[in-house]
Order: sequence, then C-alpha cells, then structure tokens
Amino acid sequence: MENKNPISPHIQIYNWHISSLVSISHRITGIINFFTITLIGIWIASLLLGEQSYQNINLFLSSFLGKFFCLGIIWSFSFQMLSEIRHLFMDLGYGFEQKTTKITGLIVLIGSFPLTVIIFIIGRVLI
Amino acid sequence: MGSVTKKWLFLKVSSAILVPLMLWFAINLASIYDKGFEQVLLFVSSQPSKFLLSLFLIFAYFFSALSISEVFEDYIEDQKIKNAANKSLNIFAIVFPLLIIILIFSL
Repeated sequence: MENKNPISPHIQIYNWHISSLVSISHRITGIINFFTITLIGIWIASLLLGEQSYQNINLFLSSFLGKFFCLGIIWSFSFQMLSEIRHLFMDLGYGFEQKTTKITGLIVLIGSFPLTVIIFIIGRVLI
Repeated sequence: MGSVTKKWLFLKVSSAILVPLMLWFAINLASIYDKGFEQVLLFVSSQPSKFLLSLFLIFAYFFSALSISEVFEDYIEDQKIKNAANKSLNIFAIVFPLLIIILIFSL
C-alpha cells in the first residue's frame, strides 16, 4: 500500500521563528555530531596503528585550524545538550507557552556559545 | 505499546543518558585533543575513561540512528530509498561503534 503520510514541507515555506531555528539547528548539529563521533572513532583507531599514524592527525589537531575544529565540535555538542534538555522538559509537559518557548529557544541558541567556552576552559585548566 | 511509541521512548531515554556522557566527553576532548600519542593512549586505555567512552559511543550511535531516521522519515518520499537509507544507517550504527569498542578494550 502506498504511504500517504505527509512529508515535511521545505523549510523555506514558513517564516523563521526561534523555535524553527532551534529545531532545524538541532537536526543539523545531530547529523554533524554523527560524523564527528565517527571521526573521533577513526582518531581512536589511529592509536592502534601506532605513533607514526597518530602523528598525522596530531599535526592537524595541534594547529590553529585543529583548535577551531575542536571548538566547533564542542559547540555542536553544547547545542545538542541544551536542546535535548529543552526537549526533555517539553516532554514532561513544561515550557509550551509561546513566551517560554522563545526564551528557552534563545537560551539554547545563545547559551551554547558560553557553554562551549566553559567546557573548553574546564578541559584545559581543571583537567 | 506501539512501535512508534517504543521508538519515542528509546529516543528520550537514550537522550537523557547521552547528555551527561556528552558533557564528560566534551570536557575530556578539550583536555586531550592536542596531546601526544602517549597521553591520548593513556586516557583511552585507562579506567574509567575506557568504560565511559564505550558507553558514550553506544548511546551516541543509538541516539543518532533513531534521530536521523526521523529526518529520513520527514524528507525522503520514496519508500525504497528510505528503507535502504535506514538499513544502511542501522548497520553502520551497530558495526562501527562495536569495532571501536573492541579496539578500545584491546589497547
């Protein structure tokens, strides 16, 4: 039987709102994280291949671009974490009022940046 | 319980478990990303990071497979392509982390 379920309309049909921006960013960062975790798996696998193999990856990660790449990964993780916490609260029945969804959406969008900095500082200084 | 409800429940439970694991991993990534071979090897091969890293990989891929399948559901119209995409995603999300976990425990 042919599936009659509607598929999502193209994202350019609706006007952009904070909620839609958080939603689409959540999906994009989710896909980015999938590929990122795969890269991290390859990074771990390079340890088995020995020091010489690891050096090639280390050379990139030690560079300015490597630091930018690492910060990008942490931002993507930060965004996902905040967005997931927002979703979990919504699943429990909280935060459905229009004003609240805007505020929590802004917390996810803007808060992911200071959270990235906090995580990076904790990682570099405290561990 | 219907299959869609089960999927939603698995997504939510894995998400709740993944958030603290992701925070732990992000902090440690910031700490070790530019470190040398010996230091990274020590981190990956010692406990509790060996156990937590494996747990992070399992839940990250489990959660990703479920959430990306939602993206496929929303944006892929052709049922055959959708099924093929879901099967490929699920196989990869099982095989790849399993290989990496075996590797972690063999280090």
